[in-house]
Amino acid sequence: MNKSDTLNETGISAPVRRVDAMEKLTGKARYISDYPFEGLLHARLLRSDRPRAKILGIEVPDLPAGYSYVDARDIPAGGRNGIRMITDDWPVFARDEVRFVGETLGLVVGPDREKVLEILSGIRVTYEELEPAFTIEEGLACKGGPIVGDDNLYGTYHLTKGDPEAAFRRAARVVEGTYRTGFQEHLYLEPQGMVGTWEDGKITLYASAQCPFYIRKSVAHTLGIPEPAVRVRQVTTGGAFGGKEHFPDVIATVLSVAVNKIRRPIRLVFERAEDIRFTCKRHPSRVTIRTALDEAGAIIGMDIDTVINAGGYTSSSLIVLQRAILHGIGVYNIPNVHIRGRAVATNTFPSDAFRGFGAPQGLFAIELHMSHLARELGMDPGSFKQKYFIKTGDTTITNTAMKDEIRLNEMFRKVDAMSGYRRKVKAYDDDPLKGIGIAFVNHGCGFTGNGEQEIIKAVAEMERLSDGRAALYVSTVEMGQGLQTVLRKIAARELDCGVDNIVYDNPDTDRVPDSGPTVASRSTMVVGYLVQQCARELKRRWGEGPGTRVRKQYRHPEGLTWDQDTLQGDAYPSYGWGVNVVEVAFDPVTYEVKTTGIWTVYDVGVPMDTRIVTGQAAGGGIQALGYAAMEVCEVVDGRFRQHTLTDYTIPTAMDFPSVACEFVENPYAYGPFGAKGAGELVFDAAAPAYADAVGHLIGRKIHEIPVTPEKIMEVLQDE
Amino acid sequence: MVRAFKPADLTEALRLRKETACVPLAGGTDLMVKYRNWTGLPPAFPGDVLFLSHLKELQTLERRGETLRIGAGVPLADIAAWPETPAVLREAVRGIAAPAIRNVATLAGNVCNASPAGDGICALYALDARLELTSVDGTREVSILAFITGPGRTVLRRDELVTAVLVPRRAANIQVFRKVGTRKANALAKLSFAAVGEVKEGIVDAMALSFGAVGPTVVRSTETEKRMAGKTLAEVTALAPSIVEDYAALIVPIDDQRSTAAYRKTVALNLLKSFLEGLKEKVKGI
Amino acid sequence: MNEFNFTLNGKAVTYRGDPLKRLLDVLREDFGLTGAKEGCGEGECGACAALLDGAMVNTCLVPVGVVAGREVTTIEGIAGTKEGQDIIEALADAGAVQCGFCTPGMVVAAASLLRGNPRPTETEIREAISGNLCRCTGYDMIVSGIRAAAKRGRRSW
Ligand SMILES: Cc1cc2nc3c(=O)[nH]c(=O)nc-3n(C[C@H](O)[C@H](O)[C@H](O)COP(=O)(O)OP(=O)(O)OC[C@H]3O[C@@H](n4cnc5c(N)ncnc54)[C@H](O)[C@@H]3O)c2cc1C
Ligand code: FES
Ligand code: FES
Repeated sequence: MNKSDTLNETGISAPVRRVDAMEKLTGKARYISDYPFEGLLHARLLRSDRPRAKILGIEVPDLPAGYSYVDARDIPAGGRNGIRMITDDWPVFARDEVRFVGETLGLVVGPDREKVLEILSGIRVTYEELEPAFTIEEGLACKGGPIVGDDNLYGTYHLTKGDPEAAFRRAARVVEGTYRTGFQEHLYLEPQGMVGTWEDGKITLYASAQCPFYIRKSVAHTLGIPEPAVRVRQVTTGGAFGGKEHFPDVIATVLSVAVNKIRRPIRLVFERAEDIRFTCKRHPSRVTIRTALDEAGAIIGMDIDTVINAGGYTSSSLIVLQRAILHGIGVYNIPNVHIRGRAVATNTFPSDAFRGFGAPQGLFAIELHMSHLARELGMDPGSFKQKYFIKTGDTTITNTAMKDEIRLNEMFRKVDAMSGYRRKVKAYDDDPLKGIGIAFVNHGCGFTGNGEQEIIKAVAEMERLSDGRAALYVSTVEMGQGLQTVLRKIAARELDCGVDNIVYDNPDTDRVPDSGPTVASRSTMVVGYLVQQCARELKRRWGEGPGTRVRKQYRHPEGLTWDQDTLQGDAYPSYGWGVNVVEVAFDPVTYEVKTTGIWTVYDVGVPMDTRIVTGQAAGGGIQALGYAAMEVCEVVDGRFRQHTLTDYTIPTAMDFPSVACEFVENPYAYGPFGAKGAGELVFDAAAPAYADAVGHLIGRKIHEIPVTPEKIMEVLQDE
Repeated sequence: MVRAFKPADLTEALRLRKETACVPLAGGTDLMVKYRNWTGLPPAFPGDVLFLSHLKELQTLERRGETLRIGAGVPLADIAAWPETPAVLREAVRGIAAPAIRNVATLAGNVCNASPAGDGICALYALDARLELTSVDGTREVSILAFITGPGRTVLRRDELVTAVLVPRRAANIQVFRKVGTRKANALAKLSFAAVGEVKEGIVDAMALSFGAVGPTVVRSTETEKRMAGKTLAEVTALAPSIVEDYAALIVPIDDQRSTAAYRKTVALNLLKSFLEGLKEKVKGI
Repeated sequence: MNEFNFTLNGKAVTYRGDPLKRLLDVLREDFGLTGAKEGCGEGECGACAALLDGAMVNTCLVPVGVVAGREVTTIEGIAGTKEGQDIIEALADAGAVQCGFCTPGMVVAAASLLRGNPRPTETEIREAISGNLCRCTGYDMIVSGIRAAAKRGRRSW
């Protein structure tokens, strides 16, 4: 590194205007629905309206010329009726049974939308209904018989550190709590959508998506063709948050079967109500924590039982579960711990990735539990939690030394100075109308364990163009998080040029190498580092003239170990760290809570652009407060009850005050200019901090989010 | 295909209304959602559509003696900005949806939609508002209480249009509107509460209370209101528990996707209680 | 009713077709103006906002027949004005854009607000955009951007 990288005005952190700002502000940026296609056909999915049933028959009326009904029979020989995600248990078209409301049965395609709807409403599906299971409890009890295996579990993991049994044997006291979180809809403002075409003898998909190579892989798998025979072009994506990680595979596979059959451009764009009803949500969770305390009230052990509701098929639930339990004891050094994690099958829409990927559920439980312990022991949650902060070299839950340099104490001081936490937490003890809460979190950057090395093997390339600019070739997408700006900034800084001299188009799998999916807070840290290395080499070789192309492949940092079978070793190459304080006020007549302050401090290594990361902190924080306070998403008869934007209420500009955000700088050796991941970390802390604040406010323990006025009323009336 | 009519004036509108089974469309903010279709397709209206919002005759806000006449085509934003609008109605209207909706949505539409959660409706009940209904055969006036018969149901005849909402102008030094919404803005009501009253020299002259979204129609009880009339504020405060009891029998809300029956009932009664107990404060200095 | 004129971004245009079609679809499909987005189609999100005779409306709720003889200004039109440029520059500098799907609607909301209220308070700004949902930014930078636009545009409003 030849420049000093600080938050000062000239360093890499100094904010620049986002490269995509102007085209988005002027309405010129084109999203999937904005592209015209010659001879475009419209498509609509035929979906199951039963949560669990055998399909007895599907009767399709005679179709007029130019209209098609596409189903599993159209999958070519050699292909497979399975969507290749982590496994391929989720069928492209339901086989002989349906496992959730909204499962794909077929696709109606044609030129006139009115006609397509008419055909769709003329299709008769007959079912033999089976008894469904919707909740975690019903799933665990195998209500209606197991959906998968003989225990309804997609998987079970155990993590053990020290000797928890011995700790519980000598405990003076055991404190137990069960914590629950609900479904959360991503509510990216642009609904899911894709256009499939047959171009140059090839299936080509234009997609609003996070992971072009995931799509390519799953389409190739379904059609039984080599991956390079599929082309995926990402178009400007109107928000994703994990919702466009694997779910686009569900759309892409159906669409590809149709395009393969019809060979015309077909558009499949969801309407909002379809999108809320029939796409993946964040996994609901139930986490029971038992804590063993000694005579002095010190924590000597914990036993944690984590269950997530995975829904009808696996999707990425097992990886989500791993992350939930790997973050199960949060930022603390607890000597003896056992965690069991289970992902249970139910007849709800399969749950999947959502910003944080399991970590928010795990962290919600541990943070709230630590707050409850603090109150039981007569301490304020901040001071109590601080006593257990993990330190560099301490043993992690996966039995290795924590390698990060940890700045939590400094972060706590900082957030206290911003918010007045320590003063207010005492003062509000006796104030029935005010409360304040705090949560500390960390978030593992990149894929779990050695996933980057073993599975992803990211590659980035750069090229000197003939016009003197340099092109960046990566598969990492801009979905709002600012990556186009950040990666161009990194390359430009190494090449000593302006960001305008770096060309970085939306990824096209025919033109860019696979630098992995845009997920897991890996893009800045992992791909950005490769970009930095590419740029350095390109600079050295600039004299070789136009056309000079450099390529870098990921190499795992030295000294890290991992065993994927036992989940032991360095769970992540590094962590981002954060603390949030949330302050609330109460209306005792309506039980409504008003948030009066949100203060956040983050260690993301070195922020690549303080404004972009601050924007993430504000957006992630408010999204998490929506999760904590208002985004009710109940399942009734297997259907999401809040299925319009009117009833699934995300925060407006009036719901929360502004989010204060500061950083501590803590450069990471294997990130570009010292950067680590930030995109998910900023989601993790606000929900537990809010629940802690509401608990403080009403003087009762909160165990569940969303904490609506209805729930607060119940809790208050319970006593 | 359904037709759309854009009449030149009210007379033509009334004629079309009589001759065709058309759906009157004012701001369209309820109708366009109700008949929403797939992107690119016109909404699936069940019959011909009669545009109203351009009609000059429906655009007026006027004071006629002791009545405020709010034209059926006036957008909510203009009603909120009109100095004559009673505070309780202004507050209710300001809390409807968001600016873009308020720029086109009408109060008459809110009333005709007859949603139990309609914010304008709740305030209009407490104000004893009336609807001016016009057909080619003439005009009649119906109180809002008689106009709305159930969720989405009114006594509007097939040949009639609402031409105005009529609000009696009367002294009311107590005007309260409180919406408890699904969020802090751009929200539908979980429940709402309106109070309009006049207190003279410490004595309650009149008091009207209404509750929205806690039953199939807005809840109002003139009987209980009468129990407050002629009483001193101290007496009303003392009566509070029994008034709350009266309403407890009338308020029978449901569980739905926005809230629970228990919450609706408890909070409606809490609002009432805190209103009655705070009456003294409210009229201090009057 | 199946053929009428209106003013679109300052130009007289003729529409031929079903007057019940949503203004949003007409703008996007008939006139190729794709700046207005469909985020919900039910009046909740504001992504489809445009100005009708200078006032903000959700074009997904407006049957196109309603705009006959009136003036429609979309993000494309606003972007070409001095006021629009002030807003756009200020929002760009403030970091108000992330995924961008809500963004054209936010610019329309800002234009609509500043025309009537050139010096809004923070609360007034938040109220003015309360019908424009954004899932990315948490609104802070949009609010500060609109505030900066008010300063920047002081002369033009
Ligand atoms: C996003 C969103 C948020 C909303 N939030 C709220 C809210 O917070 N509170 C609330 O109360 N409402 C809310 N609404 C509902 C709606 O905006 C109101 O009910 C509005 O006042 C209806 O007026 P309109 O002119 O748009 O009615 P329209 O949709 O034009 O018509 C509604 C009904 O009234 C009939 N009608 C209209 N005018 C006449 C007339 N003159 N004569 C006879 N019949 C007529 C129509 O035929 C139709 O049946 C919301 C709507 C949306 C889309
Ligand atoms: S698309 Fe019109 S308000 Fe959402
Ligand atoms: S920037 Fe993505 S919704 Fe606002």
